[in-house]
Amino acid sequence: MTRELRGASPRVARSGTASPASRDTTSASVHARPDPTADLAARQAELVAALVAGAPDPAGFDRDRLAVARRALVRKRAGEVAAVWPLLAASLGSRWHDTVAAHVNGRAPAGALRDGWQLARDLGRCGELSDAAAVELAEREVTLHHDGRRRRLPAARRCGGGAVVQIGGRVHQLMLH
Amino acid sequence: MADQTYAADKHPPRGGTTGGSPRGGNHGGPLRGGGIGIGWRPAIAGAVGGLPGLRFCEVIAESLSGGDRVPVALPRGVAELRGRGVAVVPHGVRLSLGGAEPLDPVRVTHLAACAAAFEAPLVSEHVAFVRAGGREAGHLLPLPRSRAALDVLSAHVRSVQAELDVPLALEPIAALFDWPDDEYTEGEFLTALLERTGAMLLLDVANVYANAVNRGADPEALFDAIPLDRVAYVHVAGGAEHAADPGVYHDTHTDPVPPAVLALLERLRERLDVAPAVMLERDGRYPPAATLRAELDAIAAAAALPSATLAGAATLPGAAA
Repeated sequence: MTRELRGASPRVARSGTASPASRDTTSASVHARPDPTADLAARQAELVAALVAGAPDPAGFDRDRLAVARRALVRKRAGEVAAVWPLLAASLGSRWHDTVAAHVNGRAPAGALRDGWQLARDLGRCGELSDAAAVELAEREVTLHHDGRRRRLPAARRCGGGAVVQIGGRVHQLMLH
Repeated sequence: MADQTYAADKHPPRGGTTGGSPRGGNHGGPLRGGGIGIGWRPAIAGAVGGLPGLRFCEVIAESLSGGDRVPVALPRGVAELRGRGVAVVPHGVRLSLGGAEPLDPVRVTHLAACAAAFEAPLVSEHVAFVRAGGREAGHLLPLPRSRAALDVLSAHVRSVQAELDVPLALEPIAALFDWPDDEYTEGEFLTALLERTGAMLLLDVANVYANAVNRGADPEALFDAIPLDRVAYVHVAGGAEHAADPGVYHDTHTDPVPPAVLALLERLRERLDVAPAVMLERDGRYPPAATLRAELDAIAAAAALPSATLAGAATLPGAAA
């Protein structure tokens, strides 16, 4: 089974999958990139763009399976964001997955913290953030920079009828009348 | 308990598969003696810490801070396990070894620092890429099984090996799709990769099962096509079909391990000459500790290994030797 491969030319492994005709359909630009590594880099970039950034499917792939992979990536992303933003996820309940799917459509993953952060801000702007999720967002904003580093200086955010204040790393929720 | 602590070997000799036995595990490998392990995650730290027969655990390298000048911080639960003689294996998920772009040296240094901090017997990563063109995919993506991908992947593996004092094991992933112009079968691609690099194999039977279901192939056929004597350890994980994608098996790590995956583990065990190291991966929707323990015992029974939930080396009743 394990024939000598080292040094051997790559060859067609399964009939029908890599015939000259099918290779021609994979990408017209293949032949314009003689460097195999540069070609691979370009094709990998096309694939990732199609899976996470709304770019067209690269030629030759099973489009149904790319759609399956796209949905799986969104499900995984929704779960990861929910783990980092539990109150946001809880406040949306059964609408969580569809809300995240709509939000991340065409946006490349920025990590669960930032993906959820942007979603919470967008919902807040539309007035669709629950009180608990608004406090969760305000606490994040006063304790963390957008890249996840801790804020060293005090910070405050208005939140509902009050404010969330961070001083010396401690977070206080103030009710204003 | 020195006899229960896995040895931290240097790289094994390269090209060890040529002319070797088609059966696996004749060398024993860095986790020699085998046993049950688990992917350590903070959410199940309590349950994992309460497993008296646990032999090893895996920690996601990217979940740990430190690495360059700052020492890698071991989570308390992992440090306690390490103190008990449980081997700790750093498992990288974001090196993008199969990416055509250059490796990020900071990530490589971090993985090596994790291995040093854990006194790990080996380190593992994936046959995959996770980013390209400045975008993160958010998951492990399959490579084309082409000469160009094999060249890139082998070069990246060798440069990571050069930074490590311990062996590197490579895990073939579960792929929801294939590239349209593969030049090699999966068996040929993996065999060539291991021969070129001397790397070991982290064989995930759930991935093998998922790929076979989703390609309409026989899962055991891959066992015939790869050098099983290069298996350093084995992953088992749960998965399910999703309502939106009928007929497609998703390797979710958030569902129970299906009987078919356990059956495939039994088939693999029959082909291995020595007791393997086998671990469960769970990455969300964590079950109660009792359910987790039952799942670990089912894995131990399928792999004919001593239970992780019992102290000592008791082999589970019904475990076929």
